[in-house]
Amino acid sequence: MTMVLAICVAVTFAVSIYLMLGRELKGVAMGVFLLSHAANLSILAMSGSPVMTQAQQQAEDALASGSIEHAVDSPTMKDPPIMIGKYANEDPLAQMVDPLPQALILTAIVISFGVMAFLLTLIVVTNRKTDTIEVADLAEESRKA
Amino acid sequence: MTDHRIILLCVIPLAAGLISIALINRKALSRLVGILSYTMMLGLSLSLLLKITSAADPSDSILVSQMGGWSAPFGISIVFDSLSGLLICAAAAVGLGAYIHSFSVLSPVTERRYYHPLMQFLMFGVNLSFLTGDLFNLFVAFEIMLMASYALLTIGGSKAQLSQAYKYILLNVLASTVFLMAAGMVYGMFGTLNIADLARIVAEIEADDSRSLPTGFKSLAVLFLLVFGLKGAFFPLWFWLPDTYYTVPISIAGLFGGLLTKVGVYTVARLFPLIFASDGTSTILPDGSMLGGTSDIIQVILIVAAAFTMFLAVLGAVSQHHVRRILSVHVISQVGYMVFGIAVMTGNALAGCAFYMIQHMVVKCALFLCCGVMEKHAGTDDLDKLGGLLKRDWFLGVLFFIAAMSLVGLPPLSGFFGKMVIIREGFFEGMWYLGVIGLVTGAITLLSMLKIWSYGYWNPDQAPTTNKPEQVKASCKPAYAAITLLVICALFLGLGAEAVYKVANRAGEQLENPEHYITAVLGDDAYAEVDRLLEERILAELAEPASAGGSEDATTAGEQLTLIESEKEATP
Repeated sequence: MTMVLAICVAVTFAVSIYLMLGRELKGVAMGVFLLSHAANLSILAMSGSPVMTQAQQQAEDALASGSIEHAVDSPTMKDPPIMIGKYANEDPLAQMVDPLPQALILTAIVISFGVMAFLLTLIVVTNRKTDTIEVADLAEESRKA
Repeated sequence: MTDHRIILLCVIPLAAGLISIALINRKALSRLVGILSYTMMLGLSLSLLLKITSAADPSDSILVSQMGGWSAPFGISIVFDSLSGLLICAAAAVGLGAYIHSFSVLSPVTERRYYHPLMQFLMFGVNLSFLTGDLFNLFVAFEIMLMASYALLTIGGSKAQLSQAYKYILLNVLASTVFLMAAGMVYGMFGTLNIADLARIVAEIEADDSRSLPTGFKSLAVLFLLVFGLKGAFFPLWFWLPDTYYTVPISIAGLFGGLLTKVGVYTVARLFPLIFASDGTSTILPDGSMLGGTSDIIQVILIVAAAFTMFLAVLGAVSQHHVRRILSVHVISQVGYMVFGIAVMTGNALAGCAFYMIQHMVVKCALFLCCGVMEKHAGTDDLDKLGGLLKRDWFLGVLFFIAAMSLVGLPPLSGFFGKMVIIREGFFEGMWYLGVIGLVTGAITLLSMLKIWSYGYWNPDQAPTTNKPEQVKASCKPAYAAITLLVICALFLGLGAEAVYKVANRAGEQLENPEHYITAVLGDDAYAEVDRLLEERILAELAEPASAGGSEDATTAGEQLTLIESEKEATP
């Protein structure tokens, strides 16, 4: 699952960089929009399976090979914060996915909406003032200034 | 120590910004609200800074407020230590100066376009990034600051501004996205975003012989360095800065030049000694080797960045022929000194870096504001056309000269004390090449400042201008007041350097020893595990040679341990 997400992030990132390198500001704006999606997806990937410490990984392997019988019960390096401590052994909570990355994504989405709105407004204003949204023409404009 | 007043440093500009949205058509009232807000921030941060400086115990001198009462690794912590205190004071002073200056240079139309709220929201973002103790919250603070800076950058909407704005906006959007991803990866690796908690985990892993840092930790550090380097205009990532600062109204350029790059430098100074290039506890093991030790690759990157930033940028500054451009490119060159201080990464060097940051904020903003008045006098900032300014306005000349010489670092003035400490530490730590580059850069800085001085002020030819000196002087009263305020601050930093260094040294100490920051945020026993692991490791190291080489010396392991501990305390 992580691999699928990683590929999605990579492709989205590549497409958005390609768009941002384009000659027209509309494409650039779309690139910026996709870029934030790539970041959000990568954070989503972080809410997946917990990352284990070395000792835990060894214990886990030992459990799988049958040399020990019970799993070692210590917080992994990346347990969801609310699951460390007294709820760690209760089943329903242990099956929950870590909620924090989703809260982060929500915040990031709102922020990227704000940036996007600003950028689109700026493009409209630029078009009104300079009659162009071509990057090359704008560079010409700034050379004159 | 808990003190909930520190959040007021964020609440004041936010409230003032909201109020001035309501007062958008009442010019005098919005100005009053703005000035009140900046003065309150300045007063509050100064009083808090004095309070923590007078505290005897260094770990007592970090003020913490847990938002919403959620305890540390779960909620968002707001932390006010000596470094953030110093920077917030300087930021408030610079903000006040630039704000007052803008009364005499901004057109009334621009001022009505939500200039006042934007200035407050910018301060809100800057203060929050100096205060926050949480990586994701740092991202949010950056976004608040950037959003306000995008709007201020394009305020008025001239063609030149619009066509230059995209470079700045797109680069910052890219950097923010990388920051967001890197913050997500930190969470994926360690399961926490709290800076103190991260520092604790890293210190524990470093102290423990059997564990090692997760794969990719170094590359994560490099990602963060990329992000903050772009905001702070470090060596390969500076190209956006001169063009951007060239087009905006001059008092906003002064504010940006003073504040925005420092936020990037601050985050490097905060995160790298604490986490990513962690020196850990720097305990010396009995066989003479250092435990922990500064992360090599990161330090090399920082050294290279510092050297090139200092030297290439100052060459760029000398080659320019417009006052604004010289000053903008100089911002980059001076950032190099700060990175130098961080790269050395000893307590003293970090103290020097903190001092240099605040003095540079004040002095650089003062120079930009002087440039604004020069433009009012001559109608241009082209050095070929400027001239005779000293005859027209000797007072401006004196102010400019003091600020310029502070930037260069002539002895009684503020720049000297910053550079001296950083370069001296560089020589002590064996980075003589950086020290030499720093000294040469200082000399070339003098050259470029003298260029402005001799072309603009001493040159006997009068600038071809229709403005009468008396008219300009009468219309620029707020500007003179603002520049005088900042120059007085700069003089205080120079002549009262000893007092300022008392605070800066403590900032360096707090940065160098993660223990203070960690225990202040997470509670007193948060560092106990690290200490235990270290003790265990030292005991193990001591036991080994004893069993191998017999009992050649009579001291027991326990005695040696206390010896090492006392050594550790003796060398802070």
